[in-house]
Formats: sequence, structure tokens, C-alpha cells
Amino acid sequence: MPPSPPVTASLFFTCMADALYPNVAMAAATVLERFGVTVRVPPAQTCCGQPAFNSGHRKEARKMAAGFLRAFDGEGYIVTPSGSCAVMVKEMYPVLFRNEPRMLDLACAVGERVYELSQFLVDVLGVTDPKSAFKGKVTLHDSCHLLRGLGVREQPRTLLRAIPGVELVEMEQSDRCCGFGGVFSVKNPLVSCAMVDKKIERILATGAQYVASGDLGCLMNIGGAVSRSGYPVKPIHLAEILAGPPADGNAP
Amino acid sequence: MIPRCHDFTRNVARALSNRNLQSAISRTTDRFLSHRDAAVRSFPGDFEAAREAASQLKLSVLRDLDVHLSRFIEEAERRGASVHVAHDAAEAREIAVRIAQEEGVKLAVKSKSMATEEIALNEALESAGVEAVETDLGEYIIQLAHEAPSHLIAPAVHKTREEVSQLFVDRLGEPYTEEIPELVAIARRHLRDKFLSAGMGISGANFLVAETGSIAIVSNEANARMVTTLPRVHLAVASIEKVIPKLSDLPAMLRLLTRSATGQPISSYVSVLTGVRRPGDLEGPSKLHILLVDNGRSAILKGKYREILKCLRCGACLNICPVYQTIGGHAYGWVYPGPMGSVLSPLLLGLREASALPDASTLCGACADVCPVKIPLPDLLLELRGDARAQGHRTPGEVAGMKGFAAMMGRAGLLEAFERIAGVVSQLLCKDGKIPWLPFGLSGWTDRRDFPAPAVQPFRKLWKIKRGIAPWNR
Ligand code: SF4
Repeated sequence: MPPSPPVTASLFFTCMADALYPNVAMAAATVLERFGVTVRVPPAQTCCGQPAFNSGHRKEARKMAAGFLRAFDGEGYIVTPSGSCAVMVKEMYPVLFRNEPRMLDLACAVGERVYELSQFLVDVLGVTDPKSAFKGKVTLHDSCHLLRGLGVREQPRTLLRAIPGVELVEMEQSDRCCGFGGVFSVKNPLVSCAMVDKKIERILATGAQYVASGDLGCLMNIGGAVSRSGYPVKPIHLAEILAGPPADGNAP
Repeated sequence: MIPRCHDFTRNVARALSNRNLQSAISRTTDRFLSHRDAAVRSFPGDFEAAREAASQLKLSVLRDLDVHLSRFIEEAERRGASVHVAHDAAEAREIAVRIAQEEGVKLAVKSKSMATEEIALNEALESAGVEAVETDLGEYIIQLAHEAPSHLIAPAVHKTREEVSQLFVDRLGEPYTEEIPELVAIARRHLRDKFLSAGMGISGANFLVAETGSIAIVSNEANARMVTTLPRVHLAVASIEKVIPKLSDLPAMLRLLTRSATGQPISSYVSVLTGVRRPGDLEGPSKLHILLVDNGRSAILKGKYREILKCLRCGACLNICPVYQTIGGHAYGWVYPGPMGSVLSPLLLGLREASALPDASTLCGACADVCPVKIPLPDLLLELRGDARAQGHRTPGEVAGMKGFAAMMGRAGLLEAFERIAGVVSQLLCKDGKIPWLPFGLSGWTDRRDFPAPAVQPFRKLWKIKRGIAPWNR
């Protein structure tokens, strides 16, 4: 049941979904609207600055973070289909602005409003049935930031289990990093590939048709290796499963 | 040991070409981890509360380290030890060599110690004509192989049983056997003479107890006991942050250390060594030297990286680190591997030598989850990355890329225009929505993975189409 009074949420769609996987952002909006949420899309948003921050380029990161805070200044929930971007805003902005009291206040105020999609659906809206029509054997990769940064472990599972056509199968060490790590995968491609190979081994061992995640970075990494080697599994964002059968276009 | 952290990329390539290494490391670390998990589950009491208490204790020690150290020195000397303080590795080597020479030592037996690896003591002793023999089985194996330890508590973790068997054939002239008890027996036989004829025993220390001037050592082989009690002279080498205030603080630390390391409630042996042999004592050295190594720690203590000095050297962060599991300890290029090493090595050696190490992490955070003293390893790694870039450890391509990225992300309108051009161009150039090759600095990504092609319509544009908002109406 949609809660009353009606909820408004700003969609923080992330630069990655914007440029590479617009379907994922669209799916997130669809799911939110299904539960009566009025979705706003602040047009001035770009990138939260995570790639710059994680590679140590703090000046550039501050610039992007300031832009983000301007775009999302205001009220109401901010919902994103990305665990790591949520952690960036909630946990890392305070580090980035620790010497700028005014920005720090703004960062904390904005950060408090940020939720990852499955966390928002389950913890805030109290969704128990995602009302999705999806068929298939799905295994879930616990993205590091979602799991350890936000403590989100059960929410996506709760949602997946409630979808009648979905068979959720757990892989070994679902919480082990897939080797993406943003710039890590560029700076240390050999290690990153070896790590994703191990991840894919565990995914394939489940016999799942889909590997789902709440983070596009992981899916791009796993998907890149799957597509190159032709493994029989399809990476998919949690939002797409929740929204229903995958649409045409870029799939992770 | 000569640092090779600057060769990180090459070290990694070498490690990845060694299949044996990868499977040997994963096997052992996975076993340690599952034992640790079981030990945490069956922990008597609240494990989280114990971690927090240990973390607080270590922090409080670090706040007044000089006070605790001077208490330790005073108490140890009162009980007959000679305490030496070395400011850097060179001074530490000098002191240790001088002690060996003054005591007329020709042969020293050692039990595993990271501090002596850090100051490269074995090499220094050797060039002074003192033979130093490692007696911990793992450490003995890698000494035979002329290698460095690759794990804090399992120095030969990277070697398979077959490799060890062959090593014993080649270096000791023993018949080939893959039976572990036989391998242990061979090592024991070769080491027995060394124990009996050594003039000096060299050990590390897991803890220094200020209240009593004692040294606490945990081990699972009896070698540490023999090293510290059989020879006439005992030299203990420890870095200064190992001090804890009271003997009663020891149990709380030990139960976290051994559980985090191997999942054991307690190690097979715990030695608490206090002072020299007194009249009537049955065993113990008649001379005890304690060498306290600073080697840059006083400086770390003052800054934002102080928490790394809480480290107990349990190795849990190595075991759980998917990067360590993939590349092993040698790739990190110096004595301290894994997440703790990626923080400590740049601090001890400088970012010029080791700026690649903080980048060698996906920041997945698993290390911080298992650290018994709650060191925020990912935060420290991120901090080091910031410092590295600020000190100019960055490539021109990286700088240009970041500046370009930041500029592009500066205005949404500009970004959208760029995204649409990229989307259209990519549709012309790529197949099936994939980019099989990225240029220059990014080519590593696409060596074995595809990259997704930019979408023809970015989401922000799609949304406007769906909602009928004109592009200029923002
Ligand atoms: S950093 Fe923590 S987990 Fe790693 S070795 Fe030190 S005490 Fe153990």
C-alpha cells in the first residue's frame, strides 16, 4: 500500500546510468512511481565525484561534490539505484569538506536524505511485494559499498524473494568484491580481471540465468567479462528486475 | 629487505603468472577465514564489544606512548635486561650487530619477527659474519628458498607442499617426501643442532608489557620457546607500538589476536618473558637485550595515520582481502603485505617508493570488517591516495583525464550534449552496444573485458522526452 500522505523523491540517477545504462534509471523511476512516489529528477545533477575522490584527486572531487549539493539542495528523499554513489554522498562528502564548515553542514543535510533504492523501498516505504513480473533463476552479488557502507543485505533479498517468477539462488562468497573498485579496474586491470574471473566462477556454479546487483559498477565489470567470454549468465540491475522484464537497449 | 614497492605492476604480473601461488594462497587464507568465522561465532561474550575495547585500549596507549615506553624500559632494566632504542633501521642493525659481536656470537637462531625483517637484520648479521637461522617452519622454508615472507603469520603461504618437498631435496639433500609430518621431522632434525650450538636467540614480540617489563610472544611451534630460553643471550626486537600498559591487558588482546589470525581461542604457546635468568631458575638466558625500533613511528603517531599503529599483525585483513588472495604478499614489494601493508609501507618508506600500494585496493571494506582493533583501513588508503596525488605522484594522462572529467561534469547542459554526441558516434563505431577496445591509459580495461557503448539518448534526455519537458526548460 502506498503510504499516505504521498511521498516525493528526487532521483539521483548517477552519471553511469545516465550515459551508459539509462534503462536502469528509468526502471528505478518506474518502480518508485508504482508505489505512489512522485519522482522528481533534478536536471542539474551530473556526477557525485566518486571517481575523482577514490583516485585521490580531491580538488576535482570537491568541485563535483559542490555541484551535486547545489543540484540536490532542498527537501525530501533522494533515491539512487547505486550503493556506492549513496555511500559517496553520505560518508565521503563529510571527509571531503571537513575543513569547510558551511559545505560540511550542507553535505550532512543532503547526505541524510539519501537512500539506495532497495533500502528506500523496504525500510522507508515498507514494500513487501514489489509487484513485478519477472521470470528466472537469479543470483545476487552483494556490492561492497551497498553491503558494508550502507549495511544493506536483506532488503534486495526480501524484494527478490517476493517476486513469484524469481528463483533466488545464493552463490558462494556473494559478499566478495568483484574487482571493479572504479579506478582500481583501470589502474590494476590484471588483478581486477583475475578477481572478476573468480566471481564469475561462483556465479556460474549456481546455474543462475541472471546475476543481479544494486550497483552498476559491479555489473559493468562482471558484464564486460561475461560479454567478452560468452558466459551463459546475464548481469542485470536489481531495479530492472523490480520494474519487470528487461527492456531493450543497453543491458549491463 | 630492499623495497620493491615501486615495481608493483611488474610484481603483480609475476604473481599472476604463477598458478601454484594463487591456489596455495586462496586455500590457506580461506581456511584461516572459516576458522576465524567459527571462532567469532563461538566467542564467549560480545565480539564486537571486545573489538571496541581493544581498539580503545590501543588508542589510549598511542596517546601516551612515551609514558608507557619509559615505564617498560624502567621495569625491564630493573629485571636485568638491557634496553636499546633505535631511531631508524640502520641504527637498529648497528645495535644488533654490535650486541652479537660483543657477546662473541657466531650463530644465532631466530623465531619469526616482522620487525627484524623490517630492519633487514639477517643480511646485516651475515655481513658481520654471524649466521642467523630461522627456526619457524614457514620462515625456515623461505630462508632456504632465499625469499621473503609473504604473509604476516604464514610466511610460506605461497608455497605448495610439492614445492617445499623439492626445496628440501635441493637444499638439504633429503629424500623426496610429501608427507607433512616427515617434512616437519626433517626441518626439526636440521634445526636441533642449531638450537644447541647457537650463542644467541633472536625473537620478535607480540606485546611489550609496561607494568612488568615483559615480552609476550604467541606461537604454534615450540621454536620461539627454544630461541628465547636455550641460548645464553636473548635479543628481542620489537617496534615501539607493541607496548600495552598492564599484564592484565594481555588476555583481552590475546583472545582477539589468535582468533583473528587462525581462529584459535589461544595459540599453542604463549610465552611471557620477564627479565634474565635468576639464581635458581631452571632455564632462561643470562643476558637479555631488548631492541625497540622506532623507524618512523614517532612521526606517524603525530599525524592522521596514527590508527595504523594499533595493528596486532594478526593477518586477518590479508586473508579476507581479495587483492591479497589474488596476488600474494611478495607483490606488495616489502615486508608488510595486504591492506595493513598498503597503509604501513608508504608511511615507513615514503610515497615515492610505495605510492602504488594505496591504489592496490578496491576499497571493498572487508579488511575493516575483520580487523580486531577496528583500524579504518579503507579510510586510511583513501587518505594516502589524496596525499599521493597532492605530492605529485600521478601520471600526466591521469591528471588530464580527471580535469577533463571534472570540466565535463561541471554543467549538466554541456554534459548532455557531450553524451549525445558520444552516443551517436559510438553507435557508428561499436558492435552490439559494446566497445572492445579503449585507448591508451584505459586499454587495460578492455584487454579481457568489453566496455558498454554510451547510450544514444542519455537518461536525462529520455526523461525529458517522457515528461515532455523541452530541453531549454531547465
Ligand atoms: S590491520 Fe587489523 S586485521 Fe590487519 S593485521 Fe593489523 S590488526 Fe590484523
